[in-house]
Formats: sequence, C-alpha cells, structure tokens
Amino acid sequence: MASPVEQFEIKEIVSFGTIGDAPIALTNSGLYMLIVVGLILGVMSLATRNVALVPNRWQAFGETLYEFVANMLRDATGKEGMKFFPLVFSLFLFVLVGNLVGMVPGAFTITSHIIVTFALAMIVIGTVVIYGFVKHGTHFLGLFVPSGVPGWLVPFITLIEVISFVSRPISLSLRLFANMLAGHIALKVFAGFIVSLLGAGVAAILAPLPLLMTFAMVGFEIFVAALQAYVFAVLTCIYLNDALHPGH
Amino acid sequence: MSGLGKALRFSAEFIAGIFAGTGIGWALDQVAGTSPWGMIVGLVLGFAAGMLNIMRAAGELNRRPRSGTSPGEEAERPGSDDRTR
Repeated sequence: MASPVEQFEIKEIVSFGTIGDAPIALTNSGLYMLIVVGLILGVMSLATRNVALVPNRWQAFGETLYEFVANMLRDATGKEGMKFFPLVFSLFLFVLVGNLVGMVPGAFTITSHIIVTFALAMIVIGTVVIYGFVKHGTHFLGLFVPSGVPGWLVPFITLIEVISFVSRPISLSLRLFANMLAGHIALKVFAGFIVSLLGAGVAAILAPLPLLMTFAMVGFEIFVAALQAYVFAVLTCIYLNDALHPGH
Repeated sequence: MSGLGKALRFSAEFIAGIFAGTGIGWALDQVAGTSPWGMIVGLVLGFAAGMLNIMRAAGELNRRPRSGTSPGEEAERPGSDDRTR
C-alpha cells in the first residue's frame, strides 16, 4: 500500500539551476498553480467574450460568481469595501479551483501545503495592515484597544488583542491547509483499505465496504473544497472590514 | 456549516492563538536574551488570545447562520437574515 502522504510530495519537473543554495525549478505544485490560473482565465474569458443583455450559459455562470462574491463583500464591509473586490474575487477563485482540481484523481492539491495557504493569508493581512495605516494612520491602532474596559485591564487586553491579530493569518492558513490535508489523507487511507482487503483471502468479501466509504467521502470532500474556499473568502471580507472601519 | 467544519474552525482559531503568542514570546526572548520567560508568558497570553478567537468565531456563527443550517433551524431565529446566500 502506497504511503498516504506520498501525494503531497513536491517533485521538480523542469530545473532552472540554483540561486545560491536554493534550487529554482518548476515543481508539480507550480505546474498545478499554472493549470488553476489557466482554467480560471479560460472560463472567465469565455464568460466575457460575447457579452449580451440576455446572457448565454458561460456569461450567466460568470455573473453568478460575480454576484455571489460581490454580495458577500458588500454584506461584510459595506459599499466602500467594493474597491477590494478584485482581491477577494481572485483569492476565492484561486482557492476554489485549486481545491476542486485537487479532487481530480491523481492531481496535486496546491492548497494542501501550508506555505501556499500562508502566502495567501499574508496577502490578505498585508493588505489589511497597509491599507489600515494609509487610510487611518495611527487611528488604526485603536483596533487593539477595545472601548469600555477598566483602566488597569487595558495593557493586558491590548496585549491579548495584538496576539489575537497576529494569529489571524495563522488560523486562516491553518484551517484551509488542515482541511485539505486531512481530507486527502483520509481518502487515500480508505482507498488503500480496498486494496489491502482484496489481497487478504476470505476477507476480500468485505472490500466493497471501504469502497462505499470512499465513494461517500469523495462527495463530502468536494463539498468541503467549496465550503473552505467560501470560508476563506468570508474571513477575508471580515478582516478587510477591520481595515475599513477600525473603530468597532 | 457542518459539525466537523465547526470543530476544525474552532480548533484552528485556538491553535493559531497559542502559536502566535508562543512565537512572539520566543522572538522577544531571542532579542532580549530572557529565555525562557518570554516564551512562558507568551504561551499563557496565547491561550487567552486563543480563547478570545474562539469566542469571536462562535459569536460570528451565531450572528449569521452559514450554509449547512437546516431550514428548521433558521425558522427558529426570525431575526437572522440569510445574507450570505
């Protein structure tokens, strides 16, 4: 039985030599990122090719996606948050398509590596911090001092709030990464049970049981893939709201 | 959101708080040379921040029912608008 974590191995496909000691190469992760971006670009250019008042299927699909993300952003941040729409839309589509492409058997899941999800989360938090300071100056720091706290507690609460803020990119990336990693390992383990049982003599009559389980889990994992992309986008909107309106 | 989704969400919030607090404490130790006290204090503050994160996340889930809420559950809360759909 193959190791359940073998699927997350990074392999070099095209090597471009090294810079210092760091190898520079197109890896399978990079290749799948290119595939994901290519898919998004392809579908979105199909959706915007023949724009008509009565939309065709592709345009209707694109408009549905737009409305979905736009409503999410407007609900969380109000009208002025719409300037962040390109960021939220790109992140949502990248995570969603990355998760779904990972569900194709044999494909590599880019979001199952914490460095990828952490980079995405740092883009969000970086935007929040930079925009917050540019727009509100030092008033942005008011985010860390909640109102209505007794004076002697303020230093403690501020410290805890700062740690809580620092933990945001960690929890944002950890959640997506852990969901994808756990789901794919569980799938692989249950699929491995089928092979093990088939090779175990009389016990082979039990082999359909893990097959049914694997079948059900594929459906569940596709649901998780979509849900986690949605959660990532919603939390992005909530964090952006802090940058727009730092006073609670 | 399914029960498993909630569990993963809350655990991620809590673990992230501890990681952040411990990391900040450890980094302060490296700068100030006060090892291991910064890390210990950071760990305790990280626990507090993790609990704060969980309380925030739970409050958020209560305020806006996400996908996965059954229709019956939503009907019990007349004040909640299904904005996220």
